[in-house]
Amino acid sequence: MAEPRHDKLFYYTLLPFASTSLAIVLLLASILAVNSLPAIERYGLSLLTRNVWSPVELDPEASDYGLLAPLLGTLVTATIATMASIPIAASLVYVSEEVLPARMLRVRSAISILVDVMAGMPTIVYGLWGALVLAPLLLNYVYQPLNKYFGFIPLFACSPYTGLNILTASLLLSIMITPFVFAVVRESYTQIPLSYREASLSLGTTKYEHFRIMLGIIKPSLIAGALLGFGRAASETVAVTLVVGNAFNLPYCLLSPGYTVSALIANQFNNAPLYPYMESVLLFSGAILLLLGLVSNLAGLIMLSRVKARV
Amino acid sequence: MGLNTKVLAAAAALILLALAAAFLAFRGGGQDEIVIQGGGSTFAAPQVYEWARGFSSKYPEIKVNYASVGSGSGVAQFLEGTLDFASSDPPLDKSQWSKLEGEVLQMPVLLGAVSIVYNLPGLNEELRLNGETLALIYLGEISYWNDERIARLNPDIDLPEEQIIVVYRSDSSGTTQVFTYYLYKSSGGLWPESLVGKTIDWPVAKTGRGIGGKGNEGVTQVVKNTPYSIGYVELSYALENQLPMALLENREGNFVKPAEETIASAALNALKELPDNPLDDWSPALDSIIYTEGENSYPLTSFTFFIFRTKYSDEKIEAIKLWIEYINTEGQDRMIPGYIPIPKEIASINLKALEIISRG
Repeated sequence: MAEPRHDKLFYYTLLPFASTSLAIVLLLASILAVNSLPAIERYGLSLLTRNVWSPVELDPEASDYGLLAPLLGTLVTATIATMASIPIAASLVYVSEEVLPARMLRVRSAISILVDVMAGMPTIVYGLWGALVLAPLLLNYVYQPLNKYFGFIPLFACSPYTGLNILTASLLLSIMITPFVFAVVRESYTQIPLSYREASLSLGTTKYEHFRIMLGIIKPSLIAGALLGFGRAASETVAVTLVVGNAFNLPYCLLSPGYTVSALIANQFNNAPLYPYMESVLLFSGAILLLLGLVSNLAGLIMLSRVKARV
Repeated sequence: MGLNTKVLAAAAALILLALAAAFLAFRGGGQDEIVIQGGGSTFAAPQVYEWARGFSSKYPEIKVNYASVGSGSGVAQFLEGTLDFASSDPPLDKSQWSKLEGEVLQMPVLLGAVSIVYNLPGLNEELRLNGETLALIYLGEISYWNDERIARLNPDIDLPEEQIIVVYRSDSSGTTQVFTYYLYKSSGGLWPESLVGKTIDWPVAKTGRGIGGKGNEGVTQVVKNTPYSIGYVELSYALENQLPMALLENREGNFVKPAEETIASAALNALKELPDNPLDDWSPALDSIIYTEGENSYPLTSFTFFIFRTKYSDEKIEAIKLWIEYINTEGQDRMIPGYIPIPKEIASINLKALEIISRG
């Protein structure tokens, strides 16, 4: 049977818009790839393995770049942020789904609205709060004791001179990505069939045991939430630029200032055309970010489809 | 079915309407207005806006637009022909200028200064520093405030035994260029020439005591919130935020503060080595004004340049000439805090441009 005419019209009007967004992503990836070629040809793998940033105007021979510090900074901050956000998100889910009785539906929805608002807040707000409030607080009440009593652990060995460092960036990021992890985990949690819950409770489980079993059922969604959160944390720019310290310093110690890839691009891109190879090096680092985001998001989505299969 | 089609049609009509409106708005407006399009230095931007306001109230038929995109991009866009004038903290360098000789005019239109700001809780006296100690601090070699080399300059101050947190610009900036050039020129060889530029590999970053702030506002904010830190910002930011500023040792051995007289004194002393025509090569300007002679000269002073073409179209030429005249006369009395007017001697050199600019 032939489709009605207006359906076809509808299809054809929307097709260009739908395909445009796909085309833009592909175009973006290819432009990043093509433009990072000069840097790759010039510096090769050493772009990834050295910590140098010495651009010299008008002198391609003397200009030298190595992205090790920002690359490690991105991986470290995003990893810590993700690890910290999972327990926060899981306990939020526990509170809103188990502690609060079902008749307090309004409170439950208030929590989820609040978390949605957190997700939608401009990142610059987080950044300013992080730099002006969180960093000094952490420095005085967390980092200094941490260094004093746990200084034997290499990660806390350097004396914290400033609150603007890798750990502050990580913790700020963990707050920023918690809403996303929460949304993913909660979504799956509410989809667990009632019969499973009843089965677990009828065994006489304690509340803790019950929650453990429920979380076990949706474990892939925890991993998915973590992966999606990681992708977000790795690409967050504005807030991180304000709290990470922007120093080309390898993040061996979490209490010293560092750098992340996105912060580097935000800082340096404006005047990059003035320096030989800098644009290409920055686009190369952007390509790595894109790749990182793509892999973690894809993996996250695959995990999510597994939860759907389970429940 | 009927509803969907209608909604779709309505949406399409709305989009078309919006596009048409946008198109009209873009094309129409200001038919009788002459627009001078400029851009460049972010440092100069607040002052240029102020001038543009004053200029437009005097000549309502002329509008000056200014895009604060950074000196580098400003000059690039000017050379491509999209801007009528560019503003740049450094002048065109020698190789750029020799390619364009006779086609461009450069004029210093305002003076700026980089101030050394610090956060030393409980300190009421003014800190004194010189090029050598600053170079050692930014190299990461002086790491404590009570280091003997700082103490020697400040015998009357009880300096704390605290590590120095060293703050610098994380983005590319003319301020950094002025500051590093000063370190190079005044530190007696301690600061290498390879570390002079708009964005550099800060040695102190590798000690874990360095922090980068984005823009003058970023550095200001870090210094303000970090006890025992030191940083460099444009004078206007230090004034606006009431940060304490260090006295710097000048070439004659006097410790001076950035202020209108000390900055103007540096400009007057630099003038001896500068060209007397906007057509000339101004590239030595930075070298001549930084750490210049003069009892009372502030060593960390810099010019901001406007760059014009020698030829403008019939419709624009009169407006451009009025703009140049305004900046070098009345405009100099309309400076906002932190921006210092150029000495009269320089303004009269700049006004020679009015004779040079021609139709074409």
